[in-house]
Amino acid sequence: MSSHQKPSTAGKPIRCKAAVCRVAGAPLVMEEVTVAPPQAHEARIRIVCTSLCQSDVTFWKLKDFPGITPRILGHEAIGIVESVGAEVTELTEGDTVIPVFLSDCGECSDCLSKKSNLCSKLPFKVSPWMPRDGTSRFTDLDGNTIHHFLSVSSFSEYTVVDIAHLTKIDLDGDVQMNRACLLSCGVSTGVGAAWRTADVEEGTTVVIFGLGSIGLAVAEGARIRGAARIIGIDMKPEKFDVGKKFGITEFVNPADCGDKPLSQVINEMTKGGADYCFECVGLPSLMEEAYACCRKGWGKTIVLGVARPMSEMKLECFKVLHFGKILTGSLFGGLKPKSDIPMLLKRYMDRDLELDKFVTHELDFEEINTAFDLLVEGKSLRCVMWMDR
Amino acid sequence: MNGNSSTAGKPIRCKAAICRKAGDRLVIEEVIVAPPSRHELRIKIICTALCQSDVIFSKLVDPPAIYPRILGHEAIGVVESIGEDVTGVKPGDTVIPTFMSDCGDCADCHSEKSNLCSTLPFNITPYMPREDKTRFTDLNGNPLYHLFYISSFSEYTVVDKNYFVKIDPSFPPDRACLLSCGVATGVGAAWRTAEVEPGTTVAVFGLGTIGLAAAEGARLCGAKRIIGVDVNPDKFEMGKKFGLTDFVNPKTCGDKSVSEVILEMTNGGADYCFECVGMASLVEEAFACCRHGWGKTVVLGVDKPGTPLKFSSTDVLRGHKILTGALYGGLKAKRDVPILCKRYLDKELQLDEFVTHSVKFEEINKAFDLLEEGKSLRCVIWMDK
Repeated sequence: MSSHQKPSTAGKPIRCKAAVCRVAGAPLVMEEVTVAPPQAHEARIRIVCTSLCQSDVTFWKLKDFPGITPRILGHEAIGIVESVGAEVTELTEGDTVIPVFLSDCGECSDCLSKKSNLCSKLPFKVSPWMPRDGTSRFTDLDGNTIHHFLSVSSFSEYTVVDIAHLTKIDLDGDVQMNRACLLSCGVSTGVGAAWRTADVEEGTTVVIFGLGSIGLAVAEGARIRGAARIIGIDMKPEKFDVGKKFGITEFVNPADCGDKPLSQVINEMTKGGADYCFECVGLPSLMEEAYACCRKGWGKTIVLGVARPMSEMKLECFKVLHFGKILTGSLFGGLKPKSDIPMLLKRYMDRDLELDKFVTHELDFEEINTAFDLLVEGKSLRCVMWMDR
Repeated sequence: MNGNSSTAGKPIRCKAAICRKAGDRLVIEEVIVAPPSRHELRIKIICTALCQSDVIFSKLVDPPAIYPRILGHEAIGVVESIGEDVTGVKPGDTVIPTFMSDCGDCADCHSEKSNLCSTLPFNITPYMPREDKTRFTDLNGNPLYHLFYISSFSEYTVVDKNYFVKIDPSFPPDRACLLSCGVATGVGAAWRTAEVEPGTTVAVFGLGTIGLAAAEGARLCGAKRIIGVDVNPDKFEMGKKFGLTDFVNPKTCGDKSVSEVILEMTNGGADYCFECVGMASLVEEAFACCRHGWGKTVVLGVDKPGTPLKFSSTDVLRGHKILTGALYGGLKAKRDVPILCKRYLDKELQLDEFVTHSVKFEEINKAFDLLEEGKSLRCVIWMDK
């Protein structure tokens, strides 16, 4: 068990363990891989903790493009910089970093705008490669290319990430790696959606479709903002008790709605619709329900769930005009990684934002397939894996 | 009940233009206009203008079409008498009727963000808003139905007290009436709904009165580029007066879709897109060429109830764009019409250029012809003095 590579690895390939997806939907294979040194604008990171997110599961199962094998999945993580490539001034060996699937170059018109977090210099796509040059830094022991995932690929002891996708953070003694890693995707997405995309106001009514980690993070964000009612929707009745810890005040199980459409039940409960509806599952039919039960006049429907490629949501043109509702969606909750992750970290350190309740399991990296089972069976929120405890 | 002592409290017999059957031309007939009930006012129309929605409702066969109906909803008039419980207005006042209620008292009316009064929600009914009755009958005693609670193609009409704004009598009536629907809707969409910022790029789909008014609104807000989209190439010249800087004709895009052309022209999309035709497929195009990150697409045109809009869930998730719609451009009549009046008098807001034709009431069908042939923007119809 090694804790630090010797400084002499800089500039050289590193051989280490990774959990490789070789067959869509099959257990990941723990293998030795070779990780090339970072090129210009890149850093090689020693992953300390990584957690499993539903998007990893979605793309793990996908047989057709953008699914691809062999691939190193994982995108929610925290690590330490082992070495940096050319032209990297903002990071140095030893820095603690959180990789994010969304780029923050800081220079393009989107990054410079307050309103957008969609970096146009390195636009988001589900690519199997490094973002700037379209190549891979991973090979297996036979020299075959292993593909990247969401510009992060954290299910590996070492990975190479573009600096636009790395946020440097300062962890003081109190904050632990196995909590800070949650800010790399799920929790930030949900809290950000409530704070930034929706801008939830005090005293309002919020409805959340899907109480996985993202939905519960939205609830947490809405709770902190002082929403008066946070209605959680989920097919699993046990989610209500879980949800209460995150601020859920009422619960609806679509299976209990009988003949009534879910949106009708919610419209009745809220006397005309919610101020904000968040879709956190990734089902077009649910996005349509969410839109149908957000309040006319000022209601906002926010899509956060990742749907199957090519899926479509349908609205009625007449109603879009007549009801004046807003429909929008956001990646990473509308947050800008490099400025907002440190902001969220501070809120956690100030005991404002709670992260502990998201972590239901902690495992060693070797047990990664158990993490997949737990999430697929709906038994976990966040399962954090330690590379090296 | 008070008003002009000779007609107050009594039915008035006057002329109205009636649409008796889907697709028929309007016929001018004598009708009886009941006195205003409680919460209502009776108005003597000065002039009225034709809007595309009137044309649609003159031809529509299925509900919410209903016949015989008195169309017209863009107008200005003088109050002839008022019913009980009507305050803030008196006989002799000049008013424009509005199709959206502004009660000033409900959560929506109190909110900055909504113009959809919940006291009397907008609904396309054949009746007065508070009760399912009409105030018009023909000479055989048969009811004549209302349109949008206004029915201004009549020498006299009855409107509810939540549905009017007072106008200074010295303000030109054939400019004021435009603010009761079309021009206000377009300008409002840019100003209030989209909140167009200076220096931005706007795309307007459909250059009828609403579209040109959206362009005008964007121009007033300081937009740098206003791209007009229309199948009629003459609209470019007309649109330049309202701030159009570029033009796209969907018929001359070749293999490319309109949204592809606009994405290229704007290097990634317009900051704001306004759909002003009422076609679901065009709304989809507008959304597609609205810029990721902060783009807003505003739907102003009305397609048939039930027509679906389809969006890729991935686009909705990843684009961070906003899709919304706005009746009456998101305006609150009582707050915003006076502001628009002032901007016209200050020579900022252009209204004159929207009035392309003028006819007498008897020639009302000519107004329909002109609009259907694409020859007019607003044709003002004058009642006899």
